[in-house]
Amino acid sequence: MPLQLPVFVRRSFRHRSTRVTSEGLQFLIFTLAIGIAAINTGNNLFYLPLAMMLSLILISGIVAEYCLRRLEFHRHLPDLIMVNHPVTATLVVKNRKSSLPSFSLVILDVSDGQDLDRGITLHHLPAGASRLVSYPMLARRRGRLHLEGIRVATEFPFGLFMKKALYQVEGTVIVYPEITPLSETLLRGLTSAGQEQALHRRGHGSDLYNLRLYHAGDDSRNIHWPTTARTSQLTVRETEAEEQRRATIRLQTTVPASYDAVFEQAVSVAASLVQHLSYRGYLIRLIVGSSCSEFSQGDAHLYDLLRMLALCERCAPTGEIDASDHHQAESSEGEGGTEIVVQSWGGTAGVQPDHPTILINGQPVIGGVHGV
Amino acid sequence: MAYSQALRLTSILLAAVSFIGLTLGSGLPAWLAVFTGVALIVVLIRHVAAGPIVHLAPHGLFSPAGWNLLVIIGFLGFWVDMFLVSGELLPAGIHFLMILMVIKLFNLRQRRDYLHLYAISLVAILASGSLTTDLWYLPIFLLYLVAGVWTLILFQITKGFGDESASPTSAPSVQVDLPGRVTPQLFWLANGLALVCFGMTVAIFFTIPRLSAGFYHKGFGENIRTSGFSETVNLGAIGPIKRDPSVVMRIEVTRQEPHSLDRLYVRGLAFDQYDGKSWTNRLGYRRNLNEENPGTFLIRGQQGSAGSRLGDTIQQNIILESLDTAVLFAAPFVERISGKFPAVQSDLAGSVYLPFPSASRIEYSVVSRSNPLLPADLGSDAPLYPESFARHFLHLPYRSERISRLSEDITRSQAGPYEKAHAIQTYLTRNYQYSLDAPLAGLDRPLEEFLFIRKTGYCEHYATAMVIMLRMVGIPARLVTGFLATEWNEYGNYYVVRQQDAHAWVEVNLPHSGWIMMDPTPPSNEVVRNESPAWQALGRILDSVKLQWNRFFVQYSAADQLAVVRELKAGGKSVGHRTLDSLVTILSPFTRLLGMIPDQLFRGSVQPQAAILGGTALFLIILLWLGMKGIKGRIRVDKKATLEEQRIVELYKQMLARLADNGIAKAAGTTPWEFVHVTRMTWGEANSAVASITELYCKARFGGILLTDEELQLAKDRLTQLTSMEKP
Repeated sequence: MPLQLPVFVRRSFRHRSTRVTSEGLQFLIFTLAIGIAAINTGNNLFYLPLAMMLSLILISGIVAEYCLRRLEFHRHLPDLIMVNHPVTATLVVKNRKSSLPSFSLVILDVSDGQDLDRGITLHHLPAGASRLVSYPMLARRRGRLHLEGIRVATEFPFGLFMKKALYQVEGTVIVYPEITPLSETLLRGLTSAGQEQALHRRGHGSDLYNLRLYHAGDDSRNIHWPTTARTSQLTVRETEAEEQRRATIRLQTTVPASYDAVFEQAVSVAASLVQHLSYRGYLIRLIVGSSCSEFSQGDAHLYDLLRMLALCERCAPTGEIDASDHHQAESSEGEGGTEIVVQSWGGTAGVQPDHPTILINGQPVIGGVHGV
Repeated sequence: MAYSQALRLTSILLAAVSFIGLTLGSGLPAWLAVFTGVALIVVLIRHVAAGPIVHLAPHGLFSPAGWNLLVIIGFLGFWVDMFLVSGELLPAGIHFLMILMVIKLFNLRQRRDYLHLYAISLVAILASGSLTTDLWYLPIFLLYLVAGVWTLILFQITKGFGDESASPTSAPSVQVDLPGRVTPQLFWLANGLALVCFGMTVAIFFTIPRLSAGFYHKGFGENIRTSGFSETVNLGAIGPIKRDPSVVMRIEVTRQEPHSLDRLYVRGLAFDQYDGKSWTNRLGYRRNLNEENPGTFLIRGQQGSAGSRLGDTIQQNIILESLDTAVLFAAPFVERISGKFPAVQSDLAGSVYLPFPSASRIEYSVVSRSNPLLPADLGSDAPLYPESFARHFLHLPYRSERISRLSEDITRSQAGPYEKAHAIQTYLTRNYQYSLDAPLAGLDRPLEEFLFIRKTGYCEHYATAMVIMLRMVGIPARLVTGFLATEWNEYGNYYVVRQQDAHAWVEVNLPHSGWIMMDPTPPSNEVVRNESPAWQALGRILDSVKLQWNRFFVQYSAADQLAVVRELKAGGKSVGHRTLDSLVTILSPFTRLLGMIPDQLFRGSVQPQAAILGGTALFLIILLWLGMKGIKGRIRVDKKATLEEQRIVELYKQMLARLADNGIAKAAGTTPWEFVHVTRMTWGEANSAVASITELYCKARFGGILLTDEELQLAKDRLTQLTSMEKP
């Protein structure tokens, strides 16, 4: 029957690990040497330093355990994290011990079983005290970033061993795709497509709708000075109502595994397009694989779409999925608005580009991602 | 004190403690001790003079290459020392170690230099342990332990300060809450850890299995030189050592009432032949004794005689220092001897020996039985002795008419041999003076000079005179050398025997009683030790502590551990009692000191004990006062002097001052939040800043919440904002 440790012992030491430091290794070698000398000579005054060194080793373990015990962590992650955009996370550490302080605490995030060193060191945390620490964080992948817990390590008191304890402080945050500058070609393509889609009625836009005489209360910034000079009458310009422009962005998700990097670029381009058009006041609909959003605008909608892009996954090409993508493409037609398709794979017969291909209303944009 | 400064100080102290250990252990020649000591003092003064602006890399005397060159020169010096000067590895190694220590002390630039210094000091403290078994090692070891704990803690805490390469993190470090100074909390924690460490050290020390499987066993120090315990002893040989207070043995008498004997004769050698100037033992042929049980040896001839002899038995535990003689001392006459000896020998004169002198302190137990004077020997005539017996114990170096006439005169009126011997003993005791200033060694007939001219001498002269006088009247006698133990240590319940207690006396053979002991030496009027009683008492306490140190630490062995294991196996009830007994024994000097106070009070001689107790009490009061001061300081720190609290209180005071300048003064009875309300009524613009600072102040002052640096900065900004406002 295997040896069963008491429950409280297993519970207490379940998340503990210990590593010998370089100084600790030297210390252990000295201890061994003194032990051999003591056995060899039988001199009790060698056993005394040996006992001292062994007691230092024992005390190291006990004090380090007390340092790591009864700590409390609260982590705050920012709401918006994008790939390759540094953000600041904050952590509140509290020592819940009534009388014993903790020393030399090194704090690490744990994600996917890996320790992520944030370079946080708390040299002294008095009993009952709490400390707020902030640290930079950089996400490398889009999707769900799941932080399983916090590993806290200490070499206190003697620096011989580094003892680590794991605290379960779970936290999940969505990492949005990276937003990159769009290329000039693509922007021009979008502008021309937008003009075709523009509704001829007055509104807050950038394109000229009409010129009329100035009335009291008109914004002086809208005065059209060339016409005013030419006609000697104060003339203001009215712009087209751009908010009524619609765009459908479709991201192809049926991509072979070998095109994963291109797919990620495509996701990033799609996210950049979503943000760009959203800021321009477009009503945007996003179709990612089989998922499809409503036409809408505003920040909340923007974040919903970015979230969709953050969580979308590449699908291996099969006949069904291809048909589904095709069906979506067809079904989106006739609903109005510019259709922008971001492709990262041209199909089994097509030419395989190194970069995603962008189609605006069925027309490919040459060099559409060069600015990405 | 800043961490880096404290680390440097404790590192120097660690090195200093190990250096003192080596110096006390006589491991260093005078020049090296002075050189290292001066170096330590210089480094310490430099450290104190530099104050807080000490860095890990101060400007040194030499470049790193220069220091390396010095190390190489030192290493070459080590080889020269080993082959040409010291001639041994250990002394040369110790000398090199001290040179390295001095080099490192002046070259503490990087963290690895500190590590090197710690390694050197560790080896030095080990070396001092190999050079001594004296009690001073204990306080040195304790100091080393305390300094070591402090040093390791500070070394760990300073890891990563200004040495980024040493940081365990590869990412840019976020150092939070770095006090940078030794706080009272850390002070008490470090000292507490040192105390716990000491307790665990003692526990581990007693439980580590003792294995001695080595090839290098060495004695400790040099043997004590004795006189009077060789095959031939010149008359007057004992005289020179009669002023030497070195302790040669300690004797616990277990089968007697404590201190029922005011003096204890400790027999060494017996001599049968006197040639006029020196004594020789012609019966010195040694034979191995039978081992009754493992480690217990029985003297041949004493076997089975216990029932027929009526003398008192004396059981003694003797701790004998390492002497230059193989003689095992004990009260006369030895029946049984036990100890960790491979073999024990005895000669025909009843002396007991080891096969060779012990290089270290030894402990053994002896059962002795003295020969009582039987009534049959009173008034009876001297019998005729066998020729072989008479050749040894009636032998005279020459025929001296004067001595013969004197002997006849003294014993003429006495009937039996005992009466005659007693008469001679009485004559010598009453008519001669004791003096250590009796240079009779160079004379042709020293005995005549003593008996008829100078009439002063010491034990050897008296004993020799009595033996010769007894032999002249036909009574067999022999001279015995040993020690006369008179110094009773009431704190440890044992006799302390010193070199100056070396003694010579006479054994007289009576027909029925056998050999009985007689001592013709009168009591000495010379005061050998003129210390005050308080010092003597303190000396006895220290000696008792030394004995416990020796017994429980130096001599602790696998046999003791086995005994404990056996006790545990047997049922374990008595283990607790044994442990308690051991503790009581260790603390016995102090408990006895306390116990003796009432007796001494009634006898009116309380002065020595009172002086010691007074000193101890004063020491304890000072310790208590220091402790209370520390605790009070801590309470003060805990209650109101945390740094964050001080800062917010200061900011709040500045805010009140600023508001008072603008005509809004806070009344004594107004609470902080009431005052915020007042401010809002009178100066609405300032309300936001005032409320914010007040909230933080209340959190820290009354809520017991430690403020973060961000919160403190916020309060500071609010105060700046308030200062920039003008009240309309």
